[in-house]
Amino acid sequence: MTSEFGIKVEGVSHSYAGRQGAGTLALKETNLEIARNEFHALLGPSGCGKSTLLYLIGGFIPVQNGVIRTPAGEVHRPGPDRGIVFQNFALFPWKTVLENVIYGLKKQNRSKEECEERARHFIKMVQLGGFENHFPSQLSGGMQQRAAIARTLAVDPDILLMDEPFGALDAQTRRVMQEELRSIWRNSRKTVVFVTHDVHEAVFLADRISIMSARPGRIEHEIETGLGLDRDDSVIESKRFIELSEQIWRLVREQAISASRGEH
Amino acid sequence: MSGGNVVAPQGAEIRIGKTGAILIQIGVVVAIAVIWEMSTRLGLAHPFLLPPLSAVLGRLAEDTMSGSVFLDLTLTLYRALTGFFIAAALGIPLGILMARQKLFGWFFEPLISIGFPMPKVAFIPIFILWFDIYDTSKIIMVVFSCFFPIVMATYAGTKNVDKWPLWSARSLGTREGQLLWEVILPLASPQILTGLQIALPVGMITTVVTEMLMGGRGVGGAMIQAGRFADSVGVFAGIIEIALLGMVVIRALEMLRARLLIWHPEARH
Repeated sequence: MTSEFGIKVEGVSHSYAGRQGAGTLALKETNLEIARNEFHALLGPSGCGKSTLLYLIGGFIPVQNGVIRTPAGEVHRPGPDRGIVFQNFALFPWKTVLENVIYGLKKQNRSKEECEERARHFIKMVQLGGFENHFPSQLSGGMQQRAAIARTLAVDPDILLMDEPFGALDAQTRRVMQEELRSIWRNSRKTVVFVTHDVHEAVFLADRISIMSARPGRIEHEIETGLGLDRDDSVIESKRFIELSEQIWRLVREQAISASRGEH
Repeated sequence: MSGGNVVAPQGAEIRIGKTGAILIQIGVVVAIAVIWEMSTRLGLAHPFLLPPLSAVLGRLAEDTMSGSVFLDLTLTLYRALTGFFIAAALGIPLGILMARQKLFGWFFEPLISIGFPMPKVAFIPIFILWFDIYDTSKIIMVVFSCFFPIVMATYAGTKNVDKWPLWSARSLGTREGQLLWEVILPLASPQILTGLQIALPVGMITTVVTEMLMGGRGVGGAMIQAGRFADSVGVFAGIIEIALLGMVVIRALEMLRARLLIWHPEARH
């Protein structure tokens, strides 16, 4: 079962160039192995480098030190094998919902009819049926994020990278989206890396959670949630969920405190 | 008025609706026309200094019958639009190059910064020397004055494109070479259009001023001619012609913007 890995991060460090030449170290010799089809959450205080790690896996920023591997090979640049959903949706504002979803499909060798059929299927899956011809500016935040998720899933990436995707949504929409994401993942089986600073969100969604230290970021703890594959609203009332959330919250809190005090 | 009343006019505005707004706009024009006409009729202004509107409109009607209005307007419009389109054809690609290629940016940015605030009219004597006083030098003046706002707007718009849609496109399989056409230009289009909308009136103004200074036909030339013959009615007729022409052209560009940017939040107002 050696080939059953989803993502391998080996000894990755990353520093951002500073104004006076001295760079800021965002990630320090980070190692992380995520199994294929695992739902993995990266949790940590703001500024801990969790988004940096996600962008490195996505290939959006070049790897400076270390190696990142996926089943498709070593990561050097973005590619359709690694889909991404951003906090601010990042839809193409001049395209309708349907055109947004079709955009990525057109880059693959698919017939015109297949592109449209597939796009409509995924739009229905994220509950946006009837809004195919709306522009993003005509939709609410939650609906825009649904469209962005459909656009990413439609091209069928092996890996789904999510950068605080529900961070800009109101609490109610957020809950609904979390439940739907979990069930979409159950049906599509992808390796997911989900960046968040919300402990409950991480525990509810993930199979495994990595807690990152304050800057420079590193993985401090890895925790299995063990809440089972099928989860619905009732999970959050279970004893395991409550205890796990408490335990994880204490670990994150330590990091957040040292981050806010500027300790390194 | 107290602060509580501020809300009421906004509510009223919504209730007035589109036709109401048009009626108000027509009302403003009618009011100006009436005040103009009355001020000379009542002897408040000397008819030579401010000829009555009726006389000016009469002259416009005469010139329309003889066809000279169309000749002047067509010439002015031809010069303004030719210059404007040449400036756009040069300015938009240069602005994009400056934003995308650091070397171009470094080379042209100081030149544009110096050129933008310079009064372009100051170059008229040189352009007359180089290109004579006919259409070529007039159109080049228009190109010269429209060019800078277009380059600056395109440069700023292309340079400050949001990185998130770009990243999305790249992760969906867009190659580097496709990004410009498929993502960057649509994202920058509102700002590029704004640049064009700033440049067009500048081009109209430059056309008329250049015509005034170089002479010949065209609305500006006709006005300076009328001025030299102490024909104040003719001067005011020219002012109305250029005002109407400017309004039509600028409205047309606004309509084009609304069509092109139907996706933009600004279209939701």
